[in-house]
Amino acid sequence: MSRFAEPMARLIEELKKLPGIGSKTAQRLAFHILRSNDDDAEALAAAVRDVKASLRLCSVCNNITDVDPCAYCASATRNQRLVCVVEEPTNIASIEKTKHFNGVYHVLHGLISPLHGIGPEQLRIANLARRVEAGQLDEVIIATNPTVEGEATATYLSGQLRRPGLKVTRIAMGIPVGSDIEYADEITMLKAMEGRREL
Amino acid sequence: MALKESEAIVLRTYPLREADLLVTLFTRLEGKVRGVARSAKKSKRRFGGALEPLTYVRAFYEDRERQELARLDSCEVLESPLAAEVSYPRAVALSHVAELLDELLPDREPNDAVFRLVISVLAGLRGSDLWMPVTYFDLWMTRLMGYLPELSECNVCGRALNGSRAFFHALADGLMCAEDKRLASSEMSSESRKLAARMFLAPVEGFAGTPWPKAQGADLRKFLIQALQRHIEKKLVTAVMLERISS
Ligand SMILES: [Zn+2]
Ligand SMILES: [Zn+2]
Repeated sequence: MSRFAEPMARLIEELKKLPGIGSKTAQRLAFHILRSNDDDAEALAAAVRDVKASLRLCSVCNNITDVDPCAYCASATRNQRLVCVVEEPTNIASIEKTKHFNGVYHVLHGLISPLHGIGPEQLRIANLARRVEAGQLDEVIIATNPTVEGEATATYLSGQLRRPGLKVTRIAMGIPVGSDIEYADEITMLKAMEGRREL
Repeated sequence: MALKESEAIVLRTYPLREADLLVTLFTRLEGKVRGVARSAKKSKRRFGGALEPLTYVRAFYEDRERQELARLDSCEVLESPLAAEVSYPRAVALSHVAELLDELLPDREPNDAVFRLVISVLAGLRGSDLWMPVTYFDLWMTRLMGYLPELSECNVCGRALNGSRAFFHALADGLMCAEDKRLASSEMSSESRKLAARMFLAPVEGFAGTPWPKAQGADLRKFLIQALQRHIEKKLVTAVMLERISS
């Protein structure tokens, strides 16, 4: 038997499903919503409803968007022949922060993960392969994480996409800026040496 | 409590709470140990790439009073799977080794023979060779866990199978002669039975360097996976993934 009235218990249950929200936080949020005025509560409910109703995946790049194609794919000022492949839509923000990438994106929504039974056939790459096939791209930069899963995905993609006239590149891995090579582990150091460039 | 130090193989990690990772290690000292790596998810600084599956590490951990999970203090990389190219087939093979160890090893029971097997098989999996080390690992793992039946005689009538046909079935232990085989059995070739016999006599390095197509020993691998799955009473995810690899 819950010690809260049924609608309250239901709200707490739903909030608890959110990442990083435990019982305590869920209760605090639920009581905050209960005490807030009707307009605020209604606006929150409407925002939750709208995000599901109006957002979808861009048909070109799989990014989450409210217009199709998304703002990046529809942009006249971005280089549409340069594509950066990322694992999740949230990775785009990290690359945009640099303000030095003027290409477009392709979102995989996951990585190859044999222990979870996820193979290449579950990756969303059909629309990227079509862009490559149609000769619409000059370079594909693979920006998956430097992990076993990220590497397996990158290696698989480069094999699948390789065509004459298309450059497939991998982001560099190595020593974080501002750190000390003395504290780099063996594998990070090895990758840094492999990815060295001429000065 | 005192900090323990042991060579170990990282088997799997799972996110735990907001910033931590739950890590399953196969330690040389104590067998399979599960521990918490604090802040490993948020800050990669402390553990770096050391918690990637199938990394051979020197692990420092301590047990906590009245707690099942150890506290993982730090890991030093001795050999990383990322040092060689991670192709998709290699990633599946590495995951297969991790899954078998995770599913078959009991908690906190040292097993030096299995540990030495893993180290040598991981070395074999550094190159592009895949089916040889996987076959070797499946065979030896089944044997070291005590799940391997006698391959030279019929499990039903006891007749020697040397030179005659041998069959196996997902729901039955061991090999069967042509008379005792069940409906819809698979056949294990005498080449594969000879191969198994040779693999019991030589280290994994002894088989390196010769071409090994997927078809070689495929019946033996199927037989071994069926035996293991009967014992753990569940399907091995990576066995299906291996099956789907084309070459
Ligand atoms: Zn788009
Ligand atoms: Zn028989």
